Amino acid sequence: MKAAHTNEAEKPAFTEYDYSNFYYGAGDDPLNLLKPFESWYRDARPNGYYLYMEALASAPTTRVRVRDGKTGEWRDLINMASYNYLGISYRPEVKRAAHEALDRYGLGASGSPILSGTFDVHEELAGELARFKDKEACLLFPTGYSANVGFISSLMRSGDTILLDQYSHASIVDGAILAKSKTVFFRHNNPLDLERKLSGVKGKKLVVVEGVYSMDGDVCALPEIVEVAKRHGARILIDEAHSTFLFGPNGRGVAEHFGLDKEVDFHLGTFSKSLGGQGGFVCGAKDLVDYSNAFARSRFFSCNLSPVLTAGLLAGLRIARDEPELRAKLWSNVAFLRRRFAEEGIDIGKSTSQVMPVMVNNDSKVFAVAEKIQQRGLFLNPVTYPAVPKHRSRLRISVSAAHSEQELESAVQTIGGVLREEGICR
Amino acid sequence: MPLTRYGYRNAINGFFEFPSENARRILPRGIEPVEVHHGMSVFAATVFDFHESEVGEYGEVVYAVLVPPYVEEDGRLAKGAFFPWQVATTTGAAREHAIERWHLPHWMEDVRVDFEPGESSLTARVHAEGSVAMELTITDHSWNPVSHLYQSFQQDEGGRYLANIIFEGEQSEHEEETGRITLHDHVFNKDVVISEVYRAPFREMWMRDGIQLFDPLLRLEP
Repeated sequence: MKAAHTNEAEKPAFTEYDYSNFYYGAGDDPLNLLKPFESWYRDARPNGYYLYMEALASAPTTRVRVRDGKTGEWRDLINMASYNYLGISYRPEVKRAAHEALDRYGLGASGSPILSGTFDVHEELAGELARFKDKEACLLFPTGYSANVGFISSLMRSGDTILLDQYSHASIVDGAILAKSKTVFFRHNNPLDLERKLSGVKGKKLVVVEGVYSMDGDVCALPEIVEVAKRHGARILIDEAHSTFLFGPNGRGVAEHFGLDKEVDFHLGTFSKSLGGQGGFVCGAKDLVDYSNAFARSRFFSCNLSPVLTAGLLAGLRIARDEPELRAKLWSNVAFLRRRFAEEGIDIGKSTSQVMPVMVNNDSKVFAVAEKIQQRGLFLNPVTYPAVPKHRSRLRISVSAAHSEQELESAVQTIGGVLREEGICR
Repeated sequence: MPLTRYGYRNAINGFFEFPSENARRILPRGIEPVEVHHGMSVFAATVFDFHESEVGEYGEVVYAVLVPPYVEEDGRLAKGAFFPWQVATTTGAAREHAIERWHLPHWMEDVRVDFEPGESSLTARVHAEGSVAMELTITDHSWNPVSHLYQSFQQDEGGRYLANIIFEGEQSEHEEETGRITLHDHVFNKDVVISEVYRAPFREMWMRDGIQLFDPLLRLEP
């Protein structure tokens, strides 16, 4: 079934394609896409895609040892890529708690939470987190991804409607798919479009937003969204993956920041960002948590969080709760970096948080820019289409309370120097 | 058979989100829509201003659903694939040519297409049966020379077909959501639920001073 001129055409440059071109393919064999993908990836990886999945050989502190994906050499870089927003994961108290748990429990939970996998340390973490979030109860999940997938699909059903911000994390989208509800996307952070999409929707409705959006670092327009959702009788879920322990007078998140903690129905989050660990949670009323415990399949049918990790998270939670100066330091660092980027003419888009996209806006240059920056001592990740819209490619950086002003200034100098050389900023 | 060549001054295209339920009502059995989000497929509206073809100059409007491209192990991978379900032309000769050569489904009356250039945009206004049916505005971005393969799936009572089409020329492509489509309450748009088509394209393409090269049509297994 070959076509004449397309058959003989030269192989196009790898830049003509991206991951999105290999998702769908018609034909009879599910493996049809493997060879075309492999052929593209062979060219793409050495030309920039090697900057993904580079191995680390040290703790994700503000300095990391990274193996260059192209040369294989180990290099020591300033770390602007890891979450670990409060610099907690490698604190001595956290490591000590994990060590002690390893001695006491061994490596893993060895069971699902519903059967033999729940330990005293899980109950302790869930209880302390519920109190921290000022909620009746908390349910732990093995990952943040499984928290969204499990909770949303435990609550919503076929015939219901879930309204998602168009920039929702994949775990939220996958939760909606698993729920088999009608899924409606509204324009990013746009209450007017949400209003339009909610009009005339009957039955059970859930609006899902994120406290901080992970690709742009902008904060949810929660007051306006809550107002629209309430008026239409919709329940509201906020995923505070990038905002728990950072926003609000007590660090509970963006809902607390806006004084809307009680108006939001469901509070989800993860331990992998501010605590630098792993796991997810939902906090809310006791009956809600009991119900979700019964129907969240991603939790029910997974092995529970390792007690070792859980003990470390508990120590991390106590640090985040008891040391508000860490939040103050983080926001001071964010303010410093914002000011310095502005002075250097570096565009960080709509970010108002610790997640900052350094806008390159040039899909063909973003990998070369990231490569140069890494060669000059800075570890960060390029982000390009399809993760962000075409021509909105960027370098995503994460600010931590642990960064020193000198490290941040060094980041500004390195990024600014390369962007100027490449003609991306003045 | 030789390639068929069409030259265009301008071709503007917008990708608009619309519900997959609507897309599936349009598509024949066995062809699935590509989903841009879960539950949301792509309504592609394209307007051409051809100045060179076997049947002279003409304008053409194509409504299509984005579908998965056909992949062959050693073949060139398509940038995208379409199922056009409504194609309208400004001349009878162009219509007859496209039906005979490409088995394209057609709006069987001449339409009128007015192009209105803006400062950095091009608007096409399509008139059918004496009234405006659709207005499409596409804005520009950076321009680059391209050579892209697209696939078009067709189906009529005679069978199912695939056309491999190379687009060569200058192209601007972006996702700034600055373009717009207005679908009027008109029989021309009867297959889409107008209120459920998002009016700003999530992707817009503008091609100018280019050519389309069609391989001979391939008949697919039923």
